[in-house]
Amino acid sequence: MDAATISTQLLVIGGGATGLGIAWDACLRGLKVILVEQGDLGQGTSGRYHGLLHSGGRYVLSDPRSASDCASENVILRRIVPQAIEDTGGLFVTTPADPPDFADSWISACADTGVAAEEIEVERALTLEPLLNPRISRAFQVGDCSLDSFDLLHWLANAVRDSGGQVLLRNRVEAFELSHGRVVAASIVDVRSGLSRRIGAEMVINSAGPWARSVAELAGIRLPVALSKGSLIAMATRLVHTVVNRCRPPQDGDVIVPVGTVAVLGTTDFEVDNPADHSIQDWEVDRLMAEGEVLIPSLAEHRALRAWAGVRALYRPPKNAHEVTRDLPRAHAILDHAASDGCEGMISIVGGKLATFRLMAEGTIDLVCHKLGNTATSRTALQILGPSPRQYHSLPTRLSEYESGQTGNPSILCECELATRIGLERSILDDHAQTLDDSRRDVRLGMGPCQAAFCGYRAAALAPPLDPESPVDGGYRDFMSERWRGVRPLAWGQTLSQFELGRRISLELLGADTLPEDSS
Amino acid sequence: MTDLLIVGQGFTGLFAAVLAAQRGARTTLIAAGRGGLSLSHGCIDVRRGGASPNDLRALPADHPYRIADPAGLPDALAAFHVISAKAGLVYRGALGEDLRLTTALGGIHTTCLAPESLARGRLEDTLPTTIGDIEGYRDFSAELAVRNLARAGIEVVRSVSLPLIGEAPRRDLYAHDLALRFDDPDWRTELARAWKPRLGGVRRLGVPAVLGLRHHPEAIDSLEERLDLRLFEIPTLPPTVPGLRLERALRQTALTAGVRLIEGARAVGLIDGRRGGRRVSGVVAQSAGGPRSYPSPAVLLATGGVLHGGLVARQNGRIQESVFDLPVTHPGARGLLTSESAFGSQPFAKLGLRLDRRMRPLSESGGPFFENLYAAGGVLAGSDRAIEGTRQGIDILTAHRAVECALGEGSA
Repeated sequence: MDAATISTQLLVIGGGATGLGIAWDACLRGLKVILVEQGDLGQGTSGRYHGLLHSGGRYVLSDPRSASDCASENVILRRIVPQAIEDTGGLFVTTPADPPDFADSWISACADTGVAAEEIEVERALTLEPLLNPRISRAFQVGDCSLDSFDLLHWLANAVRDSGGQVLLRNRVEAFELSHGRVVAASIVDVRSGLSRRIGAEMVINSAGPWARSVAELAGIRLPVALSKGSLIAMATRLVHTVVNRCRPPQDGDVIVPVGTVAVLGTTDFEVDNPADHSIQDWEVDRLMAEGEVLIPSLAEHRALRAWAGVRALYRPPKNAHEVTRDLPRAHAILDHAASDGCEGMISIVGGKLATFRLMAEGTIDLVCHKLGNTATSRTALQILGPSPRQYHSLPTRLSEYESGQTGNPSILCECELATRIGLERSILDDHAQTLDDSRRDVRLGMGPCQAAFCGYRAAALAPPLDPESPVDGGYRDFMSERWRGVRPLAWGQTLSQFELGRRISLELLGADTLPEDSS
Repeated sequence: MTDLLIVGQGFTGLFAAVLAAQRGARTTLIAAGRGGLSLSHGCIDVRRGGASPNDLRALPADHPYRIADPAGLPDALAAFHVISAKAGLVYRGALGEDLRLTTALGGIHTTCLAPESLARGRLEDTLPTTIGDIEGYRDFSAELAVRNLARAGIEVVRSVSLPLIGEAPRRDLYAHDLALRFDDPDWRTELARAWKPRLGGVRRLGVPAVLGLRHHPEAIDSLEERLDLRLFEIPTLPPTVPGLRLERALRQTALTAGVRLIEGARAVGLIDGRRGGRRVSGVVAQSAGGPRSYPSPAVLLATGGVLHGGLVARQNGRIQESVFDLPVTHPGARGLLTSESAFGSQPFAKLGLRLDRRMRPLSESGGPFFENLYAAGGVLAGSDRAIEGTRQGIDILTAHRAVECALGEGSA
């Protein structure tokens, strides 16, 4: 294979928050960086979380280091990515189903780990959150807030590009080239064109999240990683304005996070083998709904909108080999394969939380700089990300864009999420979205109550003239199928009615099932 | 006094009400919402891939066509033809002869009867065709339709974009907004002038189905004359204008025939306790003004399926019928109610009420629950209408049959 060769100092594998954070930190220290991501921004674990920027309160007893990391990073992220954050505040509440003596040990552990928490009157908590279970016995305020990872990832990618780094989306690592026990290059393939390239690098960082294990295997390294799948449910309305946590040890379904117009119920946790296992089991849905009902007794009267799942990569060293994933520490580990596996030139980073991505990046690049003899220190804690034109996490942003007439006419493709025609065009032309699902991550197309029943057709009509490689149906069927994947686990009540509406439009009005099978 | 009380004003309920009133029955129609006609392409689908009497007789015994007896379909369709024509809607087509029409996505809609303005676009017709969209109207793309038709081997000459005249709209327009503009003769004249230069050489033009609501036939005729071509309509995203035209026609016919219409009221079934609970005595209508009872010697449920609230699915996988809480039997677990493909058959869509030959919901023991409770349309079990292409045929036949039975005219 006569692959073109490019060379760089640092090759980062994986374009989630961790990888992009690493690339950004490295760029700020003057390193030459290329990042490769096999999918689109936000397609992996970073785009599949509950939207919670932890205060650290969840881990004060089970995982104190992770709690302290979250607490300090929470303060930093509020400073450097304010546009992606909604400062909702958080509550930990003791419901009748929670161990009554847990709260005392929890609050003293908060003090020990530096997690700010303050007890408030139960009455006050019920005033803040009227739907909350009136039988809670204690309530504590913490610094939780919601963080839009789609926006965060865009800003990080822009920041990397602006400071001279390259971000190559839809490129997958196929193989590593080793020379005298050292990784010296990687062969990467463009997922769409199938063309391969060789990237020579002084150091390779494996930050591929759930895929880190298979990336390491390409270099003959076995990573001590356990994959843990978590499922989440977005309720169609914003049931709470504050992040509400159960005051008990970490378990399935212990948090509700307000995110924009919805509220997210999180999260389940069980071990899986496949990094792409995004299946959602009925028992997970039922458990999340049942646990959510303990916090919000009227939960079942509200509509569930959509479910999704993400896969976490947790560090599981041999001493923890028999622990279930729920009990594994969330703290991250930076693995220098020169030390552990005799393989020079490669570092893997596993574990951690989205909330600690910056800290993980700083630690990783500290190690890289040490190896490369670079004395620069990390500047990411001081550098404000952006400003960027793209801020889609808040409905008011989109509404004011629309109201000010910046969006032209016709303007709105997706009434539910106020996704505009211009926004979609930008995502195709500027962000190189290749499917409607890529555009969805950019402009929230089809993420609202009707789940693309109406905007799916409109968006499909726009894509072909802008991107000649788009499918003949404009990507309509793929997009609608993807929407159904997240609705199907919630097939009851209004959610099922809504799906049936979309199905009637698709089949009876548009005849989507009568198009020729192959649409590429 | 009422002879027949019908619950639901979708296609089934309105058609049944017209039939009953025309037979001289004092008819009351109670509806919680608007019904589903604004989601309808306006055509009468009988069955995709075989709608002959033999095809329908070969369906499973619990299929709504078999329950209601497909032998009654010609009569039921004839009744529909007469009613719609009297209301100014001309339908084309005949039982057993498929009409193939293009969709807004370039798919193929196989149907039995279509409104004149849609039927003129039949794909069997070899007249060269152009598809046109309207600038600024986001719910219809000629380009998308043409590309997909071409891929299916159906050559449409080209797509064209047609201007919208008048003041720029201050919001995005829906089909209904456009249809109201097309009702205006002066506006149409102006529009034809603006369209004409873009339509040189065009013999047959397909456009989104927005060509007038109240003055629909005049709108099409006058445009055809001014543009000197043949026009046809292609239904697109809801609210669908051909569905609204049909809704309007049926409602007006029903009201003229003396049907008493009570809207915005959710019906709760009343059971007559006097004769061992073997009969229903009417419904209580719950509305903003409070509950009020409507006694009736017979009740016909035309409440629709999961989409319209006649059936309600619960988180535990159970399905409830919403007026009399009749049991709906099915496999149980929620996961079994759906299938993976968004465009394939869905098990939940086949769930609903099972009926006896006289259109009465059946209990698990095999007899009717009540001697005088009937059902028709989307609430019936046994057909995934969206996949089979059977929706309106089932509505028409079962409404026709249920009215016969409820008024004591049907033979057992």
